[in-house]
Amino acid sequence: MSAITPTETITGQVAGVSPGLRRRRAQSPRVAKHLRSNRTAYLMIAPMVILLSIFVIWPLIYAVYLSFFKISFYKGSEFVGLQYYMFVLQDPKFWNSLVVGIEFAAMVVPAGMVISLLLASFIKVLSKRMASFMKVTVYVPAVISTVVASVLFLFMYQDQGVINWFLSLLNAGPVAWLNNPGTALPAIAVPAIWLGLGITTLIMLAGLLDIPDSYYESAELDGAGFFKRTFYITIPLLKNILLYLFVTGFTAAIQMLDLPLVMTNGGPVNATTTPNLFIFNNFRGATPYATSFSLTTALLLFVVLGLISVLVFRLINSDKAVDG
Amino acid sequence: MHKRRNRAAAFAAAVVSTALVLTGCSTGGGGDTASGTTTVTFWQQKFEDYQGVWFKKYVDAFNKSQDKVHVDYQVIPADTWAQKLQAAQAAGKQPDIATTNYGNIAAGVVNGQFAALDDYMPAESFSDIKENVSSFVTIDGKHYAYPMLVEPSTVLYYNTDLVTAAGLDPNSPPTSWADLIDWSTKLTSGDVKGMTIASTAPDLGWSSWGLQYNACGHLPINDDWSKADATDPCFDKLLDFYKTLYQGNLIPQQPKVGYADGSPYGAGEVAMMAGGSWVIGQLKNDYPDMLAKTMVAPFPSIDGDQTKPTATLGGWTLTLDSKSKNPQAAADFIQYLLAGDPAIMADFFKAAGYSKYTVRTSVDEALASDPDASADPFMQTISEKVVAYGKQEPGYPWDVALAFGTAIESAMKGTDTVEGSLATADAAINDVITKQGLAGTAPKK
Repeated sequence: MSAITPTETITGQVAGVSPGLRRRRAQSPRVAKHLRSNRTAYLMIAPMVILLSIFVIWPLIYAVYLSFFKISFYKGSEFVGLQYYMFVLQDPKFWNSLVVGIEFAAMVVPAGMVISLLLASFIKVLSKRMASFMKVTVYVPAVISTVVASVLFLFMYQDQGVINWFLSLLNAGPVAWLNNPGTALPAIAVPAIWLGLGITTLIMLAGLLDIPDSYYESAELDGAGFFKRTFYITIPLLKNILLYLFVTGFTAAIQMLDLPLVMTNGGPVNATTTPNLFIFNNFRGATPYATSFSLTTALLLFVVLGLISVLVFRLINSDKAVDG
Repeated sequence: MHKRRNRAAAFAAAVVSTALVLTGCSTGGGGDTASGTTTVTFWQQKFEDYQGVWFKKYVDAFNKSQDKVHVDYQVIPADTWAQKLQAAQAAGKQPDIATTNYGNIAAGVVNGQFAALDDYMPAESFSDIKENVSSFVTIDGKHYAYPMLVEPSTVLYYNTDLVTAAGLDPNSPPTSWADLIDWSTKLTSGDVKGMTIASTAPDLGWSSWGLQYNACGHLPINDDWSKADATDPCFDKLLDFYKTLYQGNLIPQQPKVGYADGSPYGAGEVAMMAGGSWVIGQLKNDYPDMLAKTMVAPFPSIDGDQTKPTATLGGWTLTLDSKSKNPQAAADFIQYLLAGDPAIMADFFKAAGYSKYTVRTSVDEALASDPDASADPFMQTISEKVVAYGKQEPGYPWDVALAFGTAIESAMKGTDTVEGSLATADAAINDVITKQGLAGTAPKK
């Protein structure tokens, strides 16, 4: 783009034009069309901007404002400055919940992505009819409610559940999957992986189908096997998709609420208290302290999640695929 | 130009009205109607089904009995109660009357949430309340709630068939914690566990209050709430007791339901159970076959002394919101339902299968003439041997109770040693005291 000003474009001259001429230029059909298209664009985005302002931006600003107060619905709120930020940052349970959230995401996201990549690679080589069947099968968990999945897995993890029944065939168990601090978090990660497989697999499949077959054919002619083709062609060309899935998956996993709420209520001994569940459980305290504390925790979590997302983007530089 | 301005105004109006609809801003419910009837809202936390039936029956009867006050009755699920109430309070749409448990009265009064009922109800309504229960709802000489019932948090239930089959005498139930562990060991067989008791921090937080008193004679905080007292060595024995039950596989390792639910005992999955008196109502309604082979006893004591408390007396009250626009109308309903004709509350205790206990002398008298009440095999034992030694639920913030419940769970599940768990709880309670400014705020009667 050259540095030609609009005045130069229209008149072919530089400054020094009379005001009357400027007015005529402003009314020229080309400028009016430009303004008209701007107006249309603003009108089209206006509803979303208005709704976002009402439901996101204003509540966020108001929440930050309220976080400087000890909120009471009966006695009037008391200004306390940054006191609640200090309370939250000094609370070991807050930091523990962040660690739990990160551990949970570290279990769910990489495992889910690897399984999805394998499934997508498998679906890609199937016949059209089998591929359709597999896509529907893989997508089914995505339409199941998290609460329903939680209850299903609760039954499966019971002492007399199917998982302990399998263990009994090996003369092992029963294992108290959900009541043991060492196994509870992985036990909750399993349904989370299962629930996320459908969407992740379909997005990966779309990315895979976008990679030209000629790349694979050339590699095969050069004697590259499945793993070499995966590492040297598939993964590099899926980099943007993998990055997208990683960031969205990570932020979704660290914010998980339903599964630990229904399956363990954050226990045993806070082993599955994710950050959102920590906020939720504090909010249920129903005291002015609990209200202000949970609000401030939510704001700090917002900052932490933002920082994690920035960090992930920094660590994994996103490039556009060269040809694909 | 004029047309364009009109269009802009219409657009702005549409946006604002859409926003108002979406944010739920509308004129509030309740208040006075054109016909002169005052509407008050009443939120009842969902309990057992029979309670809902009883509440509805008498709300309808009250509404039909007069035309000055109409009660708008709503049942709120227990797991959404706190967030719904907070959201309503934030929007200024809180109910005029709500069910409140004894433990939340002190904190609510400090927060200015409840109106003193003495200003709206006759003095004789309060003199009818039993003396020990009156103290549960009284702060600085004023009554901030009207009590409905008390129910001990911990009673020992045992299956006489299984006890006899294990060679134990059902007429000599365990009296000490050591006895209970011995019985649990003998009664654990195959898929049937000898015992069930709370094993998660939120359940342990409140259900162990009675046993905390039993072990140490005090709770893990000093009397004026200025300092934690969780590292008293007597609490070691309490944590060891729970740890032995859990790590010895004498209780279910993955309980399907919480402490308050007696269904594992009703379904025969356990031979003994620690449960509140309310479980009797559940057995009568859902597991009638179990009644004939069930006996109750006071929960065993640390040293076998059955005069030490093993249970706290929890229960429910009705409170009047301090922001109610029609406090007198709301208080009139509380007067009708809880403090009026004793037959109304007698009907409640009958529906509850005599699994809960009265708080008014006049209701006791009404029940004395009821042959079903006097013939109930469980009522006398619980009333004379459990309720008589029960302690009031503490009114401190839930975070204190949860810190101690977490310590018990931590010791049970081996996350930390008994001493380490108690030290963590002590630090956590001191942290609550500092941050929530608890020192010196313990309620004065």
